[in-house]
Amino acid sequence: MEQIIHPIALYLICGLGAAGVAMALPRRDREGGRTLTIVGGLLLAATFGLGALMLGLKAGATDSPLPNYFFYPFAAIGLGGALRMITHKRPVYSALYFIMTIIASCGMYLLLSAEFMAFALVIIYAGAILITYLFVIMLATQAPTGDKDELLDEVDAEAREPLLACAIGFVLLGLLTAAMFRGIGELPAPARATTLAQADNGVLVNLPKKVDKILDRNDLLPTGWRVARDPESGKAMLDVDARTIQIELVDGKDHHGHPNVIATRTLTSEDWPADLEANNLDRLGYNLLNDHPMMIEVAGIILLMAMLGATVLARKHVELEEDLKAAQARKLGAYMGDGPQGGAA
Amino acid sequence: MMTASLLNTLASPIAMLAPEAGGGHAGGNASAHLEHLVSHVGHGPKWVLLIPFLPFLAFVLNALYAAFGVKSKLPAWTTVALLAVAFATALNMFLNFDGTPYTVQAFEWFNLHYGDKHFVANFSFYVDKLTILWMLFVTGLATLIALYASEYMSHDIGTGYNRFFAAFSLFVVSMSCLVMGDNLIMLYLGWEGVGLCSYLLIGYFYKKPSAVAAAKKAFIVNRIGDLGLALGVYLTFVHFGTVQYSELFQNAQLHHYIDMAAGGDFSHIPGTAQWIALLLMVGAFGKSAQFPLYVWLPDAMEGPTPVSALIHAATMVTAGVYLIARMYPLFLVSEHALPIVAWIGTITALLAATIGMAQFDIKRIMAYSTVSQLGYMFAGLGLLTTTGAAFHVLTHAFFKALLFLACGAVMHGFAGQLDLRKLSGVAWMKGWGIVGVTMLVGCMNLAGLPYITSGFYSKDMILAEAFITPGYAAIGWILVFTAILTAYYTFRVYFRVFVGPQHAEPGDDHHGDDDHGHGHDDHGHDHHGHGFHPHAPGWAINTVLVILACASMLAISLAYIQKEESHGWVGSMVAQSTASFHSPYAEAAHHAHVEHTEMHAVAGPVGTATPGTVFGMDAHQGMILVSGIGAIFGVLLAAYLHGPKGWQGLFLGGREHADKCRMDAIAKRAGPLPKWAENKWYVDEFYHMVLVLPLRIISHIFHWVDKLLIDGLVNVFGFLPRVFAWIIRPSQSGVLQGYAVSMAGGLVVILFVVLIIVTRAGGAS
Amino acid sequence: MIESLTLAQLAYPEPMSASVLAPYLFVSTAMFAIGLVGFLTRKNMIIMFLCTELMFQAAGLALIAFGRHHLGADGQTFVIFVLCVAAAEAAMALALVVLLFRHRESLSASAWKELNG
Repeated sequence: MEQIIHPIALYLICGLGAAGVAMALPRRDREGGRTLTIVGGLLLAATFGLGALMLGLKAGATDSPLPNYFFYPFAAIGLGGALRMITHKRPVYSALYFIMTIIASCGMYLLLSAEFMAFALVIIYAGAILITYLFVIMLATQAPTGDKDELLDEVDAEAREPLLACAIGFVLLGLLTAAMFRGIGELPAPARATTLAQADNGVLVNLPKKVDKILDRNDLLPTGWRVARDPESGKAMLDVDARTIQIELVDGKDHHGHPNVIATRTLTSEDWPADLEANNLDRLGYNLLNDHPMMIEVAGIILLMAMLGATVLARKHVELEEDLKAAQARKLGAYMGDGPQGGAA
Repeated sequence: MMTASLLNTLASPIAMLAPEAGGGHAGGNASAHLEHLVSHVGHGPKWVLLIPFLPFLAFVLNALYAAFGVKSKLPAWTTVALLAVAFATALNMFLNFDGTPYTVQAFEWFNLHYGDKHFVANFSFYVDKLTILWMLFVTGLATLIALYASEYMSHDIGTGYNRFFAAFSLFVVSMSCLVMGDNLIMLYLGWEGVGLCSYLLIGYFYKKPSAVAAAKKAFIVNRIGDLGLALGVYLTFVHFGTVQYSELFQNAQLHHYIDMAAGGDFSHIPGTAQWIALLLMVGAFGKSAQFPLYVWLPDAMEGPTPVSALIHAATMVTAGVYLIARMYPLFLVSEHALPIVAWIGTITALLAATIGMAQFDIKRIMAYSTVSQLGYMFAGLGLLTTTGAAFHVLTHAFFKALLFLACGAVMHGFAGQLDLRKLSGVAWMKGWGIVGVTMLVGCMNLAGLPYITSGFYSKDMILAEAFITPGYAAIGWILVFTAILTAYYTFRVYFRVFVGPQHAEPGDDHHGDDDHGHGHDDHGHDHHGHGFHPHAPGWAINTVLVILACASMLAISLAYIQKEESHGWVGSMVAQSTASFHSPYAEAAHHAHVEHTEMHAVAGPVGTATPGTVFGMDAHQGMILVSGIGAIFGVLLAAYLHGPKGWQGLFLGGREHADKCRMDAIAKRAGPLPKWAENKWYVDEFYHMVLVLPLRIISHIFHWVDKLLIDGLVNVFGFLPRVFAWIIRPSQSGVLQGYAVSMAGGLVVILFVVLIIVTRAGGAS
Repeated sequence: MIESLTLAQLAYPEPMSASVLAPYLFVSTAMFAIGLVGFLTRKNMIIMFLCTELMFQAAGLALIAFGRHHLGADGQTFVIFVLCVAAAEAAMALALVVLLFRHRESLSASAWKELNG
C-alpha cells in the first residue's frame, strides 16, 4: 500500500498545526501574549515546510509525479490566508484574508483545468459574497481607531476554548487525511483513450453546429455541406476514436419535413482539425444541462427563497420600549376595534 | 322456641297457594290463574304517559328556576299544580281501567340481540290494578306533601327552595318509572332514581355534617340492596330470557315452576330460578329498611320533614313491598324466599318498636315506627297476604304521612325542637288545635284502635293470616306484642307532647338544620329568651293535615267495599294483578267464616291441615279481639306512664311537668335495658365495629401500600430520567458553538471507529 | 525547467495520477479543518459564517480535484451548486446576523442561549 505521506509525519504535521493555531488564536493580551502568537506562526510555517519536505522526499524516493510547481505557492497562500483569517482579531482583515484564500483557490482551480470555475469563483465569491460580508461587518461593528487591541470588541478579542477546538479540528484533519490516503493509491487511474474519447464523443456528437463551425473555420466544408446528422436523433455523425467525420450535402426538405440529403462524404483522420475538441466550458455546460437539469431548478428555488427570506428577515423593525409598544398596540386596537394584540404588525 | 319454629317452618306451609277467590278464576290451578291475568295485555292510551311526564316537566321547570335564581314560591305552585294534574291522570286511569292490563310505550329503549337471546327493555309502562293502586297514593300524597312543603320550606326561598322542589319532582318521576315500568330495567331505573333523590333530599342541608353523613349512609346501605336487585334482574334475564313483565309472567317455564311449587315440590325447580327471589328480596330489604339494612332510615330524618313524610314513610320505602308484590310469582317458586321475608319482617317490626319506645326525638320515634310498620308489611307478604300488605301500605301511607307532617309542624313552629321532654300541651296552644286533633287521628291509626281506625283493619289482616297459617302462630304472637308496643310508644308521644301543662323550649336552631333564621325574625321571635312564641302552622299545613286525617279515617270504608268477595277494595285491586295469590288455608277460613260453616281441614301439598284459629275463634274475629285489646292496653299503659294528670291523661296519668313522668322511675330501676334501647341496641356501633372499622383499617393499609410501594416504584422510574437529565443537562448549554463542538467531536469519534474497522478489515485481507 | 512551468498542471486530456491528487486533497482537508477550528473558536458570528464559507471552499476544491482526476465535469457542476448554496447562505446568514445584532447589540453567538438545559 503506497503512502503519500508517512503516517507519523502526517500526525506530526497535524499536531504541530494544532499547536500553532492554538497559540496564534486571538486572546486578551497579557504578558508574552504577542510572543506566543509569533511562536504559533513560526510553528505553522514549520508545518508547511515539513509538509513540503515530505512531499519532496516522496518524489525523490519514488518516481511518482508531483503537482505543478505553482501548486506550492497557491497552497501556502491559501492555507496561510485561511489561518490568518481565523486568527486575526479584526473582522475586516479576516474577510480580506479570506479573499486571499479564494484567489489562491482560484489558482489551484486553474492548475486543475477548471478555468471557468476559477473565474466564476473570483467573480461570485470575491466579488459579490465577500463584499456583502464586508458591508455587514462595517454595518455591525464599530471599527476601533488606532492599533489598540483593548479597544476591540469583546467578541473579537479572544477565542473560545481554543485548545479543545484545535484538538478536535486537527484530530479530524488527521483522521480524514489518514482515511483518504489509505484509499487514494487504489484509485483506478483513468486510461486516456477510452475515457477521454467517451467523454468528448458524448459532448461533440451533441454539438453538431459547433462541429460545423470548427470544420468551416478549417475550410473543410464545401459550400452547402455540413456535418452529417443522424436522421433519428439529430446527433453529429463523427467518431472521436477513429477520428472520422461524416459530412453531407443538404438541399431543402422532403415531404416528411426531413432534410433532403443529396450526397455524403467521410472525412478521414488526416483531415481531423486540431481544434476539434470539447473545451472545459463545453463539457461543463453540457454536463450541467444534460445531466443535472433538475438541480438547476432546485438551485433557482433556493436562491429565490434566500432572497425572499433575507428580505423578510432584514426588514427594519421599529425598536420600541415596552410601554411604547403597549401604547401603540392600544392605539392600533382602538382603530381596529379589538384587544391589545397585533402590535407586532 | 322461636329458633326451632323458624327452622321447622322455614319451607313448609307457604308453599300451598291458590288463586285469589276474587280473581274470578277460583278452582283453576295457579299457573292458569297467572296465564289468565297476563294473557290479554293490550296497548293502552297514550295519555297515561302524562303521569311520569308532568312531574318531569315540573323537574325541568324547577331546574330552570334554580338556574335563573327564582326567589318566590313559584316552584312550589308549579310542582303542586303539575302533580295534581298527574294525580288526576292517575285517577282517570283508575276510573277507565277495565280489568285488562295494558302497556303504553313512550319510546324504544333497549333492543339487543345477545347470542340467541333477545334483550328488549323499552321505555314503556305497564298498567294493572297494582300499578294503579300505587300510583294513586304516590301522586296523591306527593301533591299534598308538595302543598305542605310550599309553606314548610318557605324559609329557604331563594336558597334551596328551587332545588328542593326539583329533587321532589324528580322523585315522583323516578317513583312512576319504578311502579309503572313494564320491565325490570325500568324498575331498576326508577329504583336508582328514587335512591338518588332520597340521597339528594336527605343531604338537602348539605352544610350540616350529620345530614351529609346520613345521606351517604342511606346511599351506601342502599348499594348493598341494589346489588342484590341488579343481580336478581340479571339472573331473571339469564334464566327466563326476558325482563318484560308481560312476557315473564307468560313464560311457560315459570308456569311449570308455579304448578310444581303449588304441589310443594321445590326439588325440581332449578336453583337459579329460586335464587332470583332471594336476590330481589335483598334489594327490597335495602330500599324498605328491613332488618340488617334498616339503619339508614332513622338517620334519613336529617332531611326536611316533607321528605321524611313522602319518601321515607309513605312511598319510596314501600318500593320493596311493591317489588315483592310485583314479582310475586317468582317468590312463589322459591322455597325459602317468602318464609325469610315473613321472619325478617317480624324481627324488624319487633326490633324497631323496642328502639322506638326508648327514643326521645319524636321524628326519630316516627322513623322507627315506619321501620316497624314496614316489617308488618313484609310479614304480610311472607304470609301470602299481599292484600293485607298492600292495604297496610295504603293506610300507613296516609297516617304515617300525617304523623310526620304533624311532627314537622311542631318542629317548624318550635324552632327545630323535637325532644318530647321539652314540649308539653302543644294542642292547647293558640293556633295548634288542628295539629293536635289530626295528630290524635294519626296516633290512633298507628296504634290500631279497634273499629274506628283504618290502621286497625290493615294490621288485622296480616295478624289474622299469621294465625291462620299453620306453624306461623309464633309470628302472630310476636306481631301482636309489637302492636301493643306500637300503641304504647305512639301515645307516649301524644301524651307527652300534645296534652298536659303547656310548656315549650325552642330548639337550638331552626329546623335543626341551616342558617335561614331570617324567617323567624319576621315573626318577632326570640329563640333564646323567655319571650318565645311558637310559630303556628299556616293554612297550607293545616289543610294538608286535615285532608290526610280525613283520608286516614275514610280508609276504613275501603275495608268494607267488596269485603265478602275479596277482602275489601284493596283486595279487589290486588286480585286483578300478578300478586293475587294466597294460601288455601286463608281461603278455607274465609269460606268457613262467610258461610258460617265449620272449619275443615284443607288438603295441602305437605299434608292436610286445618287453618289456624285464635282461642278457637275464626282468626279474623279473634284478632279483632286480641289486637283491639292489645292496642287499648298499650294506650292505657302510655297514659299511665306518660299521661298528664286529669282527663287529659284518661285519669290515669300523673305527669305535672314536661320532663317528669312515672316512666323515669321505672327506667331507673330497669337497669341498662332502656339505655340500650335508646342507643338502638348498639346496632350501628356493631356495624361500625364489624364492617366499617375493618374496611377502614384495610383501606389504610392499602393506602400506605399504594403510597409507599406503588408510588415509590413509580417515583423511582420518574426519578431515574431526572438523574440522567441532571447529568447530561450541562451539555445543552444553549451556546451555538457548544453544539458545534459536540457535533465535530462526534464526527471525530465516528471517523475514528470507522478507520479502526477499516484497518482491521484491511489487515485481515 | 521553465518550459514545464505551464499554468495548467497537465494538458487537459492527460490523466492525473493519485500522487498529484493527494496534495490537493490534503490542502482541501486542511482548509476544512481550519474552517472548523475557526467556527468553533471565534465568537463573532460574522467570522463564524466566514469560516463556514471557508469550509465550502475546501469542499469545492476537493470536488474540482476529484473531477479533474476522473476527467469529468461533474465536480465543476457541483461546485456551481455549492456556490449557489453559499450565496443563499450568505444572504440568509447575514440577514440573520443583522437581525440578531439589532436585538442584542452584540455579535456574540453566546448572547443567545435561551435554549440552555
